[in-house]
Amino acid sequence: MLSETSSEEPVLEVGEFYQLLTAHLESSFGRRRPHWVRGEIAKVYEKGHVYVDLVDAGSASSDTKRPVLNAHCWATPWAPLKRRLADEGISLRVGMVVSFHGYVDVYAPQGKIGFSITEIDVEGLLGDVARRRQELIARLRGEGLLERNKSMVVAPVPLRVGLVASPGTEGCADFTGQLLNSRFSFQIVLVKTQVQGEAAPAQIVGALRALDDAGVDVICVVRGGGSKGDLACFDDERVARTIATSSTPVFTGIGHTGDESVADLVAHTRAITPTKLGEEIVELVALWYDVHVQRPAGRVVEAVTDVLDEASTYLAERRRTMIFAVRDRLRAEERHLLGTRERLVIQGRHVVESATRMLVSSRQLLAAYDPTRRLAQGWSIVTDAQGAVVKSLGGVHVGDEVHVLVSDGSFTSNVTQTKGSST
Amino acid sequence: MSNVSDWNEASSELNAIVASFDEGEVSVDDLFVKLERATTIIEALEARLALTKAKVEELTPRIAKVTEGE
Repeated sequence: MLSETSSEEPVLEVGEFYQLLTAHLESSFGRRRPHWVRGEIAKVYEKGHVYVDLVDAGSASSDTKRPVLNAHCWATPWAPLKRRLADEGISLRVGMVVSFHGYVDVYAPQGKIGFSITEIDVEGLLGDVARRRQELIARLRGEGLLERNKSMVVAPVPLRVGLVASPGTEGCADFTGQLLNSRFSFQIVLVKTQVQGEAAPAQIVGALRALDDAGVDVICVVRGGGSKGDLACFDDERVARTIATSSTPVFTGIGHTGDESVADLVAHTRAITPTKLGEEIVELVALWYDVHVQRPAGRVVEAVTDVLDEASTYLAERRRTMIFAVRDRLRAEERHLLGTRERLVIQGRHVVESATRMLVSSRQLLAAYDPTRRLAQGWSIVTDAQGAVVKSLGGVHVGDEVHVLVSDGSFTSNVTQTKGSST
Repeated sequence: MSNVSDWNEASSELNAIVASFDEGEVSVDDLFVKLERATTIIEALEARLALTKAKVEELTPRIAKVTEGE
């Protein structure tokens, strides 16, 4: 209902005023005339719907006269927008500069004129996120933090492994599976953390510090694949700085092949997946094991074999040598005895021949003295009564009977006279 | 196997016996004594070697696990 005042201007009821206002606003800023509005998020609140207070970028919060746009996005349009932002690793945060597409929305019961969001400039936000990420990397590089953890010396046998991960996730299982199914006895010290979401960075930082204090050989930060939003916590500056300044080497196995987080950049070693990280840890131990255990063991086996072969060869050779030496020695003795025997036979033959010659000579000599021959020559042999040969006058006396032997017989004679040859 | 000392000493004694044969210093009277002693040493060392080989064979599968990286 319209009424008139003294100045003849129409007087509107409140509802009529809002209808008029809404009509005017909708004609220029309504659903069919949407606008892009750019500003800095001063407040953000989400409960099904999302409510955002947008101010001019760079304006001071102390400025009580700075313009504020009360923007909101109802749950129905917000759900797909939120998913899209999350896929890119973006969440609406205070301080973020963002462009909203939407229209003016008048809520008469509270007398509020708001801005209903229908679209968000994700590409612009991505550019902003990328810029912030590059700025962070540049700062870390400037402070020498990209190389700091890489300069840490990894223990020769990293069997005590600190693990920052969310148990039950595929990435965690892939990583621990590599270690636990290896031939080495890894000790895994797990500190549970969320690996995505708002709370993740603080939890990851706490886990890294706890493991750094626990004296593990290496700390592994593990997270399976996911959207950029899922992995956004690994681009967090707090996480990056904690990794860089850790006194323990930090290895990362985050996401898929193509993902590279700031955490990866500052880490000592980066593997492209949790599985690959597990393989690399196992390989480190395997390399040490090969050099310090396997190869020496192989050399021991070879040396033992060589010693045994050498001893066997030695004994076989000594045995043969002994057999031949004894045989040679015995043959030498046999030859010596045979030679001696032959020499004895020859010498014996000489002795016999010599004796024979001596006997012949003696026989000839004896023949010269044969009495028969003397008797035949006219010699005789006189014997006394006792048969003794009378060789001189002393052997006979006058009157004795003597026997005279001649060549052809004998006769008996009486001694009648003796006479010496000198007389 | 009696009176056979450790491997090196027994081996030295065996080498000395063989050397005495090589140099023709062994009389016939000593030959049997030395041959008997050499045989005793060789048999003792072979027994010792066989025992060592058996022990090595026993250990081989265990060290093979190390060298083959099982």
